[in-house]
Amino acid sequence: MRRSIYAGHGTWRNFGNLGLTEDEIEEEVENETVQLVRELVELPSRACRQRIRGLPMNFNERRNIRSQVFSAKLSKKSRLPTCCTDFSEQASRSFRRFGAGLVTARRFLVIWQNTLKEIGGTFGTSVLSYFQFLKWLLMFNVFSLLINFCFITLPQIIHAPNITHATGFRGLELLTGVGYFNQTVFFYGGYDGEVIETPPPYNMQLAYFFTMAAYFLLCGISLIYSMAKSFQTNFVLHSASVSGGAWRLLCSWDFSVVNEKAVQHNKNNLCVQLKESLSERIQRRAVLSLSERMENVARHLLSWLISVLLAVGCCAAVYFLLQDQVVSNISQDPDNLVTEASTLAVPVVVSLINLVVPLLFSLISRVDQRSNPRTKIYINILRNVLLKMSILGILCHHWMTDVPTSVSCWESYVGQSVYRLVIVDFIFSLFGSFFGEFLRNIIGTKLIPSLGVPEFDIATNVLDLINAQTLAWIGIYFSPLLPVIQFIKLFLIFYLKKVSLSMNCQVPRQSGRAAQMQTVYIALLFFPSYVGALSLVAYTVWSLKPSELCGPFQGLSRPFQAVQDWADTVQAIPGSQWISWIFYNVIKNELFFYLLTLIVLVLTYFIWQVAQGRKQLIRTLREQIANEGKDKAFLLNKLQSTQKQRRPSGISISQDVSTVPSFTQNWMNTFPLDM
Amino acid sequence: MGNKQTVFTAQQLDAYQDCTFFTRKEILRLFHRYRDLAPQLVPLDYTNQPDVKLPYELIGSMPELKDNPFRQRIAEVFSEDGEGNMTLDDFLDMFSVLSEMAPRDLKAYYAFKIYDFNNDDFICKADLEKTLNKLTRNELTEDEVRMVCEKVIDEADLDNDGRLSLEDFQHMIVRAPDFLSTFHIRI
Repeated sequence: MRRSIYAGHGTWRNFGNLGLTEDEIEEEVENETVQLVRELVELPSRACRQRIRGLPMNFNERRNIRSQVFSAKLSKKSRLPTCCTDFSEQASRSFRRFGAGLVTARRFLVIWQNTLKEIGGTFGTSVLSYFQFLKWLLMFNVFSLLINFCFITLPQIIHAPNITHATGFRGLELLTGVGYFNQTVFFYGGYDGEVIETPPPYNMQLAYFFTMAAYFLLCGISLIYSMAKSFQTNFVLHSASVSGGAWRLLCSWDFSVVNEKAVQHNKNNLCVQLKESLSERIQRRAVLSLSERMENVARHLLSWLISVLLAVGCCAAVYFLLQDQVVSNISQDPDNLVTEASTLAVPVVVSLINLVVPLLFSLISRVDQRSNPRTKIYINILRNVLLKMSILGILCHHWMTDVPTSVSCWESYVGQSVYRLVIVDFIFSLFGSFFGEFLRNIIGTKLIPSLGVPEFDIATNVLDLINAQTLAWIGIYFSPLLPVIQFIKLFLIFYLKKVSLSMNCQVPRQSGRAAQMQTVYIALLFFPSYVGALSLVAYTVWSLKPSELCGPFQGLSRPFQAVQDWADTVQAIPGSQWISWIFYNVIKNELFFYLLTLIVLVLTYFIWQVAQGRKQLIRTLREQIANEGKDKAFLLNKLQSTQKQRRPSGISISQDVSTVPSFTQNWMNTFPLDM
Repeated sequence: MGNKQTVFTAQQLDAYQDCTFFTRKEILRLFHRYRDLAPQLVPLDYTNQPDVKLPYELIGSMPELKDNPFRQRIAEVFSEDGEGNMTLDDFLDMFSVLSEMAPRDLKAYYAFKIYDFNNDDFICKADLEKTLNKLTRNELTEDEVRMVCEKVIDEADLDNDGRLSLEDFQHMIVRAPDFLSTFHIRI
């Protein structure tokens, strides 16, 4: 049905020269319309409206069909007494208007609508995807902030324990997080695990555990859902290898760009891409001689070796610095400003590495010359991710093994470390923007004009965002109000990058494939970023002994003990046996997870086989289309020759002679003809 | 949501809401954008469905369209008379299809019509050459233009009839996941 709607009105015109009169054609169009209306009446009202909106006809026809459908629906319902139909019509209409009003109101809550439109209009969709990614990350933090504040912080503040501030407020706290902030609700240490006796009793330990668990679970579901949807739209349908790039002429022109300079820029880009794809066609790829291939392999190996050595060197530097800090921590004097400032050494070194080494990586990537720019981007991303994740890994290892044994109230210490990392990372991204873009712009335009205006490097910026969000996810367990800082940080980075973009940068040249890169970024956000943070928190909750003197889980052998104790107490209450049953047989039972994994694996294999079968089907169908094209050409040729034979013999064909187009040899170019 | 506006009747607004992808507020905002193009021609009261058509020159001068190389084809495809002179219905229809809520098939259908310069329901080589000239004026030589058009038809023509039908075009769109976001004008 859908096919005939799209090809309908035009196709009937095409068949004019096959012997149908104008009236017959009109009749056919009428029939089709009636059939369409009949089909639409069957659908439920919401689906019906969606279908009407998607009809490919001009507005008046669509309105026509809509009124026909609605009157048909009304007459169907008119069997009921009229007061009921009137009431139900009015009720449904007001309900719909209310729903539309809700949608409109929700749009108010969407921040930055106009700014995003401006950015998209000036720089195109690939740069816009960075800002949309940033906005999406912001939502995670807002949600975390809300639930942490409502379920953990608010009860704690209302039922505040005695907080003794060891030191007064000095300015350095904002950077280091110790001192005045030490015992506040900002960090783990500011919470206690009492059961608040206000009826009903509110167990802080369980609240802390379940809030964190619920947040991570919802984050995980949201990430998996976005990843799957993005993968489906951007990768699966792209399965056929698109040889060359000339088809890009029709599909990739960015209609949303409204700035004149940007339009000119896009035109130039398209030109360059078309010329490149043409030259690929002209010169067959030269078969590389053995020595050239060996040289290529050697170059790749060399660049990888240098990158890995660089990464290992950085990790070693961070590791030794951390070891050094452990030694000095044992003799920590809370009043000494110098020791407090020295805790900033590790974050500064880490941020410096994250800023400088990616530049070195891009220099190294010039050593191995790859012809395919897409592989280049992927390799660059891989190297950067390896670097960032291994540094974070070293930090986490230190926090999980060295810190709990040597520091009292170690969770607050970890929270403060993460806080320092987040703040210093933000300061360094300010510097990075300044040096990377502003100064580079000045160098490029005034000092060395041949360098040109810098491009907005999307990959590096997105990886910085992912790094920042990983830190935030790691820090949530140890510092429940860290999302506030992350929110402010992301908010400021948005405006910083926007200003930097409009003042300093130009549209990136390789602007294609934004959609696929989007999938890659979401996948990177899920693994290793989210999975890493989740496993860290899970390890802390499952295995590490919480500190004795502070925090909600003080006195337990491990935080998960709280849930176990609760399950035991629940078992004693008659009627709630099922909670206890679920806990012991589902969550604590290894067999259940084993069976679940087995079932998931079997399902995956089955679905993969179905996908293979469908690929085969697509191949066969494509061949069938090509064959049908040949059949159509053959049949129309035969028809032409038959009608040519008929006409000289004078047999009257039942059609208006004046509307019969004269068949020419070149009928394909005159097909269809106006009547 | 009270019925505070006096531009349309409630039934008209309902019809607009059902036939386009816009909400009430957006429809009213678009009406005012339409009116701002020629306040003396467009009345403030549309309840008796006045027959007002804005000439193409005004439509083509909108900031969202004025730098678009295909603005004339867009206006022609969506206008009733095929010349680019648009009524309010055409105007709403145009921005509705070009909004982010329109489905892929609908956008592909209209993109096909935009690139089909001679309106014969097929994108032939001449149409491709015209498209290419609009996008890369004077940058490519004639030989290069010809080769690019041949290449496009080679790659996209499934039923081997030397030109692209709507099905060929839709199949090509499926392989371009960026299409939904690039065939989009924000207003």
